[in-house]
Amino acid sequence: MSETTVTLAHGAGGRQTSELIARVFQAHFSNPEFTADDAAVLPQPGGRLAMSTDGFIVSPWKFNGGNIGKLSICGTVNDLSCMGAKPLYMTCGFVIEEGFPLDDLEEIAAAMEKTAAEVGVKIVAGDTKVAGKGQCDGVFITTTGIGQIMEHAHTSGAYAKPGDAVIVSGDVGRHGCTILIARDDFGIGSDVDSDCAPLWGTVERMFEATDQIHVIRDATRGGVGTVLYEIAEQSNVGITLDAPSIPVDPRVKGVCGMLGLEPLYLACEGRLVIFAPQEEAQKLVDALHECPYSRNAAVIGHVTAEHAGRVVMETEIGTQTMLPQPKGELLPRIC
Amino acid sequence: MNETIRAAREIITGYSGRPLRIMEVCGTHTHEIFRLGIRGLLPESIDLISGPGCPVCVTAVGFIDEACWLALEQGCIVCTFGDLIRVPGTEMSLAGARAKGADVRPVYSPLDAVEIAKENPDRQVAFLAVGFETTTPSACLAAKQAKAAGLKNFSLLTANKTMPNAYQALVGSADAFLYPGHVNAITGNAVCQRLCEEQGVSGVVAGFTAAELLTAMAVTVKLLGEGKPFFRNCYPRVVRDEGNPAAIRLMEEVMEPCDSEWRGLGMIPGSGMKLREAYADYDARIKYHMPVITGRPNPACRCGDVLQGKCRPSDCKVFGKGCTPLHPVGACMVSDEGACAAYYQYATN
Repeated sequence: MSETTVTLAHGAGGRQTSELIARVFQAHFSNPEFTADDAAVLPQPGGRLAMSTDGFIVSPWKFNGGNIGKLSICGTVNDLSCMGAKPLYMTCGFVIEEGFPLDDLEEIAAAMEKTAAEVGVKIVAGDTKVAGKGQCDGVFITTTGIGQIMEHAHTSGAYAKPGDAVIVSGDVGRHGCTILIARDDFGIGSDVDSDCAPLWGTVERMFEATDQIHVIRDATRGGVGTVLYEIAEQSNVGITLDAPSIPVDPRVKGVCGMLGLEPLYLACEGRLVIFAPQEEAQKLVDALHECPYSRNAAVIGHVTAEHAGRVVMETEIGTQTMLPQPKGELLPRIC
Repeated sequence: MNETIRAAREIITGYSGRPLRIMEVCGTHTHEIFRLGIRGLLPESIDLISGPGCPVCVTAVGFIDEACWLALEQGCIVCTFGDLIRVPGTEMSLAGARAKGADVRPVYSPLDAVEIAKENPDRQVAFLAVGFETTTPSACLAAKQAKAAGLKNFSLLTANKTMPNAYQALVGSADAFLYPGHVNAITGNAVCQRLCEEQGVSGVVAGFTAAELLTAMAVTVKLLGEGKPFFRNCYPRVVRDEGNPAAIRLMEEVMEPCDSEWRGLGMIPGSGMKLREAYADYDARIKYHMPVITGRPNPACRCGDVLQGKCRPSDCKVFGKGCTPLHPVGACMVSDEGACAAYYQYATN
């Protein structure tokens, strides 16, 4: 294959499609289950299954700390992990803009391979479409995953209870801040890198520490703040945060200070928000500190029966104030 | 809690003298006061009033109408700070104009608008220049760069305002002002010092961190208790008495004072800035022979009273009902620095 960019012919289903699949996808996703047929044939795992799907349209496709390929594996792996499910199989659908460099596509596939291998999830089927120039932007990816839920895992956004501790697995807002800097809309330079990471290993370690975990949610687009409001509503409880204990990277703090942004509402791609009984909190935080992506994990608040549906902050000057309600996306196309 | 914060807190919470009205002039202060829950600390005898220091909030309805006219009737690419897009005009906001096909683009700096003009030589580009001494220098720089580059397709629709004359208009509405630190960083302290010496107006320049803001408030409370007019700079890490001479020179070179309409305060003589005659080619009102456009604010909205401290946002009939951050009726509900938006977002009950 001599071309250096993706052409419409690569998506036409003929010889060039096969060549593209062979060069890019088979080369990186190869495993015994990766199918050349119309569907992957898989052994039946036992117990309860979790299944999730997610689309990725981040711009720019490459950023400090990852790219859209890594993100597309992490997103679905983390969704499954939040249900206590070990990710087993994934499929991925690509929509590629005509003219997208093949080397870049390989870089994306390589990141997917590496991230999937880290988790032990197998990519078993895929699809490639090519859109005409201007009909999409670079490359869009959709991934779907199936996971096997651990027997003792029972998590849901509806299970938060008064008295629970609220834990975040690391500093907040890094991914959103990284994308914002990468777009260079503000003329601000910073070496801040995305927190994008696959978190199955982290969740597995958490459940080794205790199975008393009520809620695990990965904070993505709307950031940790949006997750907290979702849980407060779903579980019909109040949440009180201790503002000074919320971990924020100094670089993120600096950028947010300049632009008037709230780090709690900036996107994360490798952060879990965990609700568990107060007496399990320290065990969980200790376990999280052992894992590579959650060295800054911290208890940031607790659940109350009062002020149901609301998130209240205890501030650094010893007052209480409401965390403003989420206002929708601060930035489009961050994941 | 650090020592400074603890000490300032004690002075404020321990106050037991006569009732005090303190006005935070600056929108960023309004936002921080809410974010930090400072109102929750105040004894009943201290009343904090939010002043007219958010540039979006004091922008007159007619200015939005003028911007919509440029976008819809003249086909200009209208570049603006994002907050202004949702501020209601008489008939519509710029978001409404955009829905009718207008090309409205948010920018983060006036210089971005100059770049857009360079990239679109076949289109006319107008930048909506609002703001106080903190943002006016960058608008002046944009006009200067456009002129130096000989651009024929760039202009400014000005509604720039200056703080000193607004202070004058606000005299009597509070016992003391918390002056906006970043405005004084440009203008210096002479005006505030004069107000104190000549008219007995008390005030303190305040910074923006929790410690700075609380310190400024504690100093205000303490000195008000002593009964003599005072001026203090509680933001010395940024504010110098002489201000920022380079920024002042730039503003004086490109712009000159004019009368300006403030939402809620009406026309204040000499409180605005417009382009000097040498820059007339870059003045959108002159360039497009703009007719006189007079805006009509929504009669239900009490932003005007809120901006003068005459009522609280929650006293307005439409607050939180017809008027919310998603569907603002008045400008104070649009910007994060607006008093109504701050009340709405942070109120715990």
